[in-house]
Amino acid sequence: MTGQTTASGQENGRPLLQGIGVTKLYGGLAALNRVDFDVYPGEIVGLIGPNGSGKTTLFDCLSRVQDLDGGQVFFKGEEISKKKPYQVAHMGLSRTFQVFRVYRKLTALENMLLSRQWREVTLIEKLTPTPPKAVERARHLLEFLTLTHLVDEQAGNLSGGQQRLLEIGMALMPDPDIILLDEAASGINPVLINTITDRIRQLSREQGKTFLLIEHNMEFIGDLCSRVFVLNFGEKLAEGTPEEVVENEDVIAAYFGT
Amino acid sequence: MVNKIIAAVQSVIFNRRFLIGVIILLLLMPSLFYAAEWCKELESTTSPLQQSFCEYLIEERPVNGAVLLSFTQMFILIILASNWNLTGGFSGYIDFGHAVFFGLGAFGTALLMGSSRWEEWPAFLSGWNFWTAMAGGGVVAAVFAILIGAATLRLKGPYFSIAMLGTLVAMREFVRVNSNISGGGLGLSLPVILNRPFFFYVSLIMMVLVVSLIRWLRTTEFGATLIAIREDEVGAEMRGINTTLHKITAFTIAAALTGMVGGMWAYQNTFIDVNIAFNQNRTIDMVMMTMLGGIGTVAGPVIGSAVIYWLRDVVWANFLLYHQIFEGILLIIIVLFVPEGIMGIFKKEDSGTSLFGVIRGWGRKSARQGSPQGSPTE
Amino acid sequence: MDFSELLIQTLINGILIGGLYAVMMLGFSVIWGVMGVINLAHGDFLMVGAYMTWVLNKQYGWEPFLALLLVMPAMYLLGWLTQKILINRIIERPHLVALLVTYGLGIAMANTVKLIYTADPRITTTRFSGFWQYGEIVLPITKTLVLVAALIIMVGLFLLLRNTNLGKSIRAAAQNKEAARMVGIEIDRVYAITFGICLALTGAAGMMLSPLGSITPYMGAAWTLKAFAITAMAGLGNIPGALLGGMLLGLVENLLATFVPTVGSHIGITSSFALLVIVLVARPQGLFGGLRAPQEIR
Repeated sequence: MTGQTTASGQENGRPLLQGIGVTKLYGGLAALNRVDFDVYPGEIVGLIGPNGSGKTTLFDCLSRVQDLDGGQVFFKGEEISKKKPYQVAHMGLSRTFQVFRVYRKLTALENMLLSRQWREVTLIEKLTPTPPKAVERARHLLEFLTLTHLVDEQAGNLSGGQQRLLEIGMALMPDPDIILLDEAASGINPVLINTITDRIRQLSREQGKTFLLIEHNMEFIGDLCSRVFVLNFGEKLAEGTPEEVVENEDVIAAYFGT
Repeated sequence: MVNKIIAAVQSVIFNRRFLIGVIILLLLMPSLFYAAEWCKELESTTSPLQQSFCEYLIEERPVNGAVLLSFTQMFILIILASNWNLTGGFSGYIDFGHAVFFGLGAFGTALLMGSSRWEEWPAFLSGWNFWTAMAGGGVVAAVFAILIGAATLRLKGPYFSIAMLGTLVAMREFVRVNSNISGGGLGLSLPVILNRPFFFYVSLIMMVLVVSLIRWLRTTEFGATLIAIREDEVGAEMRGINTTLHKITAFTIAAALTGMVGGMWAYQNTFIDVNIAFNQNRTIDMVMMTMLGGIGTVAGPVIGSAVIYWLRDVVWANFLLYHQIFEGILLIIIVLFVPEGIMGIFKKEDSGTSLFGVIRGWGRKSARQGSPQGSPTE
Repeated sequence: MDFSELLIQTLINGILIGGLYAVMMLGFSVIWGVMGVINLAHGDFLMVGAYMTWVLNKQYGWEPFLALLLVMPAMYLLGWLTQKILINRIIERPHLVALLVTYGLGIAMANTVKLIYTADPRITTTRFSGFWQYGEIVLPITKTLVLVAALIIMVGLFLLLRNTNLGKSIRAAAQNKEAARMVGIEIDRVYAITFGICLALTGAAGMMLSPLGSITPYMGAAWTLKAFAITAMAGLGNIPGALLGGMLLGLVENLLATFVPTVGSHIGITSSFALLVIVLVARPQGLFGGLRAPQEIR
């Protein structure tokens, strides 16, 4: 079951997230070299490539954790390459990290509540008790992710897979328009992977959420994505449906060497 | 066995009633002082009860001016350590130059009360009464905090610490050079007032207010956000938290409070100069007391300050010259071997967690219903 | 003295003091570069070197420059011991630990010295005093000799790092501890030696300071900050950079002191601090791309 678009996703109008000529340099090395990509609303798009091909770097640039050295990024039609990370988050972009980062010393519930900063919870509001609606939503999401029994547990005590799920929950909390998931399926047992797959599908289908997934797990990609981009050495190598990409000779060569 | 003792102590000193009792006792302390004064004026024709009571007071002098002064100093230390903890413990930005705000508050207050030696000091900035001058000192410190914080809070860990140390040293020299402000080698003299109970009360009330404020802040989402920033600033920023705004706010609050304490201290001291107002040792006091007590907790600075103060007064009083050497070594030992401080011994959780785990018994019902305050794991 | 002469004099003063600054901060920056430890007790070690010189000078009548021969080895030993006992425990821990521990160490040292020698300002007397005169311009002999000594020491360090096996081990350890270990380098030994060398440098700087101005037990913090400021400009363990940075700072200080008349020597710390803040704020991501980015130790 894939998303609802054709291979190029043109039918959905303007791309939700778009990168044109994205370039990022480390020292003399181009971690990203003029990468073009686009993600349309409601799509689930995959981003794959061998290790070190620049996938996470791309995510860093998109979420503004890193600056671009060239090119532009458009989110909802606005150029965001000069914005601060929290501003982009407010616009509706969420992401998770390859090595999951949760606030270890706070409980799962607190982690969730601290992630709801979308519509700019002002400083003053932070001095007042949390609105019950937010708490409800946090609990609801945790339930959605099968973490109900861990609501009051310190995040640092959760297992790897649970922390991964929590992170996804935190990314969902502000009701974002697009979620960037960085290796959501890595290091988790297959049962949980199925849960994650189901949830992503559900969110896409029922709420029209857009996803951009970095993955090594091709099954995961195949299950979910309607389109896939392939990066290699910081450059876009190929683009297409999962089936097309898997049979692409360049892609095969990149992964296995010629 | 040890655990039982620890648990017992914990249940006592963190009990709300116990703390209120202590505060009431402290509030009543000066009455003995006044009683002693009253006794001195007494005629000899009084009841035997009054006589023996007065004899005791005059002989033993349990609460004389020195004792009040001593407690006042301790309250001041507690406030300073708690303020420092707001930036250092909660936000995770270890400020080695926090004493600069103390000095700014001290000088601000002194100048506003009319101590300037400069003929051209504006008249409207002179002759203020103590309360407004103290507030003014706080404002000076706060304004400077916003300015310097905007620059230094962008820096990571050790860079921030050293930049703040540099700020302290530079400000000290800057003020020294501007003898119009600093009074140069002569320093500044404040209106003389010798009223120990007054300062005792002022500092006691300030201490209660400040610690309560910090405790409250900790229960709000703002406090939890600071901790999130400490835990993972990049992640927090990426999740939509304007970390700069939060950091500067906490920083400025701490600075303003410290500035006010500096002003009060100046008034009590009746004299300040650059060396004692911008004294580096004050920063190490704050750091050490907070670390000893437990950095990042609400009670930590209070406990740490009390312990150190007791140590100084009782244990090291005989080794007056050595106490700073001891304290330098103590800091090393704490950091290497007991980084969580005393609070780390008390609590099963790490410092700075779901706050109500910190002070059991304070909890409001709402805490257990999942506000960001979370609920203790009971 | 007309303007051009004043300018030349100022420049000379700046350059002369630059050498001292460079040696002073190398001890700090090499420790940071090799071990990742930011040593807040650096200025206090400097102070110890200065006091050592003073004791030799005043109590035993030694010529300060000659005292270098004793001070440097003594400081080396002190450094070696300090590393083994204390610094070793903080090397792979977060920076905060190093900051606090060295901070405490510095406080303990400063107060110990104060206890023994009181807080009265001290100074040493050297027979290499006075100045050479060229028209209106003076070249103070002591400072010139200081610069010469500094240059000799720096060249020595440079050659040590570049050409000797020890130097190569140090540089290897700085770049990649694990790889160095695998090649058979005893990291602990290297660290101890490095720390010792750095303290020897710092002690030498302390000696050089002693005849130039008064020394007090609490002088350390200002010098630590100066070391930090120059390191920010020069990079970790970068010797030519240290020299340039030191001279730059010296020039700035002297220019300010000469041409901004209302200010005394206290401006020194403010200007170095201002420089520091400017550098740091201009590159908030950290110096030269990372805290423990040991640049080539040249």
